[in-house]
Amino acid sequence: MTGEAWVVLPLASLAVGALMVAFLARVVTQDNGWLAATSAMSFGVGLLATGLVAVEAQAWHQVTGTWPVWGSPEPGGAVLRADPGALLLTGVAMALGLLVAIYSGRYLSLDRRYMTYYPLLILLVIGLSALLKAADLFTLYLACELMGITSYVLVAFRCETDTSVEAGFKYLMLSSAGTMSMLMGVGLIYRATGSLLLPQPATDSIWARAGLACVATGLAVKVGMVPLHTWLPDAQGRAPSSISAMLAGAVEGAALYALLKVCLGLGLSPRALGTVLVAVSLANMCVGNLMALGQTYTKRLLAYSTIAQMGYVMLAVGIGLRECANEALQAGFYMLLAHAVMKALAFLSKGAFHFYCGVTEMDDLRGVARRLPLASGSIIVAVVGLIGMPPLAGFAGKWLVLAEVIRASDALAVIGAVLFVANVLLSLGYYLPLIARLFAPLELAEPPIVLSRWMGLPLVLLAGLVLAMGIQPQPWLRLTEGIGPYLLALAQGG
Amino acid sequence: MAFRIGASWLLVVLAVPLAAAILLVAVRPRGRASGWIAGAAAAVPLVGILLFVPSLWQGDAVSLAIPWAPMAGISLDLRVDWLSLPFALTEAGVTLVAVVYAWGYHTPDERTPYMYALLLLFALGMSGTTLADDLFLFFVFWEMMLLASCLLILVWGEGEQRGAVAFKYFVVTHLGSLMVLMAFLLLFNEAGSARLTTLREAESLLPAARVPIVIGLLLVGFSVKMAVFPVHIWLPDAHTVAPMPVTIMLAAAMLSMGTYGVLRFTMGLFGFREMAPFALPLMIAGVVSEIYGALMSLAEEDVKRIVAYSSVSQMGYILYGLGTYTQPGIVGATLHVVFHGIVKALLFMVLGLVIRATGKRQLGELGGLGPRLPTVAVCGAVGGLAIAGAPPLCLFVSEWMIFSGGFRTAHIALSVITLFGSLLSVAYALRLMLGIFVGKLKAEVIEARPRAMLTSTVVLSATALVAGILPTPLIAWISEELSLLMGGAW
Repeated sequence: MTGEAWVVLPLASLAVGALMVAFLARVVTQDNGWLAATSAMSFGVGLLATGLVAVEAQAWHQVTGTWPVWGSPEPGGAVLRADPGALLLTGVAMALGLLVAIYSGRYLSLDRRYMTYYPLLILLVIGLSALLKAADLFTLYLACELMGITSYVLVAFRCETDTSVEAGFKYLMLSSAGTMSMLMGVGLIYRATGSLLLPQPATDSIWARAGLACVATGLAVKVGMVPLHTWLPDAQGRAPSSISAMLAGAVEGAALYALLKVCLGLGLSPRALGTVLVAVSLANMCVGNLMALGQTYTKRLLAYSTIAQMGYVMLAVGIGLRECANEALQAGFYMLLAHAVMKALAFLSKGAFHFYCGVTEMDDLRGVARRLPLASGSIIVAVVGLIGMPPLAGFAGKWLVLAEVIRASDALAVIGAVLFVANVLLSLGYYLPLIARLFAPLELAEPPIVLSRWMGLPLVLLAGLVLAMGIQPQPWLRLTEGIGPYLLALAQGG
Repeated sequence: MAFRIGASWLLVVLAVPLAAAILLVAVRPRGRASGWIAGAAAAVPLVGILLFVPSLWQGDAVSLAIPWAPMAGISLDLRVDWLSLPFALTEAGVTLVAVVYAWGYHTPDERTPYMYALLLLFALGMSGTTLADDLFLFFVFWEMMLLASCLLILVWGEGEQRGAVAFKYFVVTHLGSLMVLMAFLLLFNEAGSARLTTLREAESLLPAARVPIVIGLLLVGFSVKMAVFPVHIWLPDAHTVAPMPVTIMLAAAMLSMGTYGVLRFTMGLFGFREMAPFALPLMIAGVVSEIYGALMSLAEEDVKRIVAYSSVSQMGYILYGLGTYTQPGIVGATLHVVFHGIVKALLFMVLGLVIRATGKRQLGELGGLGPRLPTVAVCGAVGGLAIAGAPPLCLFVSEWMIFSGGFRTAHIALSVITLFGSLLSVAYALRLMLGIFVGKLKAEVIEARPRAMLTSTVVLSATALVAGILPTPLIAWISEELSLLMGGAW
C-alpha cells in the first residue's frame, strides 16, 4: 500500500461509525433517538473529514498537478483517488446522510428493526464514496455491489408491506444484472489490456471496447438511464422516504460520475460519450416527464421526476463533453447538486406527510397545508424549485443549463434546447397539481400538527439550502470548478 | 438647489417590501396589524421612486451595480431611467391602493400575514422587473411576480375552480416566460454579458439571422403577459377568480409589465431597421385584440369578466400604439399604460364595492344601485366614462395620442378601424355602468362598505379626473423615454 493514506480518512471514519452504531444497538441501547444521533454524528465526522481531504487534495493538486492516490497499483490491489468530483459528491452524500439520520430519529421510531437501518445507511454511503473514489475497476465493482446490496435491503426495509418487498426484489434483479454485466466487463478489459487501473491508455482491442460497454451498462442501470430505468420508480416509490431521498440525491449522481470516470478513463472520446449522453438525456426527460403525468402515487411521481431531472443533468454534461466546455460541465454538476437538495427535500417532506397523515396517493394530499404547514411549505419550496422558478436552486440550474445548450448551437444542441424547454413546460402538468392539492378545501377542519424537531430540522435546513443556492450560485459553482478539467484530462490518459 | 438621491436608494425601494414580507411571515401579527405593516411597506417604494425624478431631470439615470455570481454571468444591476419610471410609478401606486383596499376587503384570519406578504412579494416582483438592469435579475423578478400571484389565486381565490384557474394561469404565463428566457439566453451568449446597459451600447448584438428569432420570441413572450389576443386565455379566469386586491394588481399593474418588456427589450435594444418587419404585425394584433376584447366584454354577464375582457381590449390599443413606431404612438401607448392602470384599478374597486354590498356579480341580478350607493355610483361613472375614452378623463388623452400616431403611418385603414373600434369600448362601459347603477332595483344593499375600500376608490377617481385635465407633466416625463428607444432615433 503506497500513497497518501489520508485519502481514506472519510471512509475510515464512517466505517468506525457503522461499527459504533451496531455495537450501541447490540449492547447499550436500542433507543431510536440515540442510534440516529450517533449515526448523524458519524456522518458529521465523515463530512468534516471529506472537507479536510478536499482542502488537502486541492493543495496537493496545486503542487503536483495530480490528485492524491492511495492503494497498491499491482494487479489485485485496490486504488482510491481523491479527485474533485469524487470529493464533492462524497460530501453531498455525507451531508444528505447526516440530514437523513437526524430525520430518521423520528421517522423510524414506529418501525421495528431500526437497529439494522442505521448501520446499513452508513454502509450505503461507504459504498457510494468508495465508488466515487475508486481508481481501479475491481474496487469500482466492489463498491458498486456494496452500495447496491445495502440499498436493496433498505428499499425493502418495510418488509411487512408486499409492495416494498416487490420493489426491493425488482431493484435487486435489475441491478444485479447490471453488476453482473459490470463484472464481465471488468474481466474483458483485464483480458485485453492486462490492467485494471483508471485511467489507462486507449486500445483498439474489440474486447476492451466490449468490456467498456458492459461496465457502462451496469452503471447506467444505477443512474436510471432510459431504458434501464424501470426499477427506479418502484424502488424510490416504495422505499422509506428517507431512503428515497438518499437514492435520488446521492446514489444516482455518484453512479453518473462513476460512469463518466470509467468511460473517459478507458479511452472513450469525450465527443462520443457526450453524444450518447445527450441522446440518453433526451429520452430521460421525455419518458420521465410523460410518465410522471399519469402517476397517482406521490412518491412514484417524484421518482419519475428524478428520471427527468437526471435527463437535464446529463444534457448539460453531455453538451460539455461534446464541446469540451468546462462551463457546461459546471452547469451540469450544479444542476446535479441542486437536484440532490431539492429532491431530498421533496422526499423528506413527503415522508412527513406519510408519517403524520398517512398520505400515499396524490388525492390524500388534499388540504394537508392546514394540517402540516411546515412540511407543506418545504414541499412547495422543493417542487417550485424543481419547476425551475427563481429565486430557488432549480432556476439557476435551468438558466445555466439552457445557456450552455444554446451556446453550443449545433443541430443536436438545438434539439436539446427545444426539448428541454418543452419538458419544463410539460413538467408543470404534474408539479402544479401537487401544490394545488395541498390547498384544496376540506370539509373537516382538523387542528394543525406540530412537526417533531427531528423531522423539522432537516426540512428547514434543506429548504434554506434550496433558497441559498438559488440566490447565490457562485460558491456552489466554485465547488464544481475542478471537475471538468479533471474529467477532460482523464480522457487524455491522465 | 439640486436635490440628488444616491443609487443605494434603489436597494431601499426593493428591500423594504422584502423585509416587510419576511417580517410578516416570521412574526405573524394578529388582526389588522399585518395590513398596516404591508401598507407602510407599499408606500416606501412609491415615495422612493418619486425621489428619483429630480436626478433624472438632471440628465443621468440612477444605477447601481453589485457583482454577484461572476461564474454564472450574474450581477445585481439596478437602474432607473425615463423608461422604467412610468412603469415603476404605476406599479407602486397600484400596489399601495390595492393594499389599502385589502384592509377593507379582507377579513383578518390566521392566514392574513401570508396574504399580505405575498402581495408585497408580488409588488416586489413588479418593481424589480422595472428596475433590473440585468437579464438574469429581470427574469428572477419576472417569475417572482408569477409565483406570488399564482399562490394568491390558489389559496385566496374565490370559487371551487381556483386550483384549475391557478394552473391555467401558471402554465400559459410560464410558456411566455420560457420564450423570453430563450431570447435572453440567445442575447446573453452572443453578447457575453447579461447587463442591459452593456447590451444597449453593443455595436451589433446578434448575427443577422438570429435577430428576427430573438425579437419574435420576445414579442410573443411579452404579449402573453400583456394578454393580447390570442394569448390572453389566462386572463379572464385569473381576473375573475382572484380576490379583488389581487385582481387590481393583476389588471392595473402586471399587464403593464408586458408592455415594459416590449419597450425595454425589443425597442430598447434594436433599431428601426431590425424592428421594421414587426410594425404591421404589432398593429394588426393590436386592432384584433382591441375589437375581440370589446366584443367579449359585451357578451359577458359576470361583471368581473366584463372588466377583465376590457383589459384585453385596452392592451390592444397599447400594442397598436407601439406598432406605429411614431413619437405620439409610443408616448401615447406608455401614457395609456399609466392611465389604464388608474382606471382599471378604479373599475375593479367599484365592482368590489358593489359585490360586497349586494353579494351579486351577474349583471342581470344588479340594477338601480345609483341612489343606494351614490358615492360608488359617481366613482363608477368616472371609471366607466374614462374607459370609454370620454374627455376630460385621462384615457381620452392617451387614446388621442395613439390614434394620432396611427394616422401618421401608411396604414390609414387600420387606424380608421381602431378609431371606430373604440366605439365598442363606449358600448361595454355604458352597458356595465348603466346595468349596475340605473334602472329597477334588483338586489338590495345588504352589507356596509368598509371605509378603506371607499376612500381608496374615491382617491383614485379624483386621480383619473386630475390626470385627464393636467396630463402635461406626465407627458413630458414619458416623452423623455424616446431617447432610449430605437437607438434614440427621434
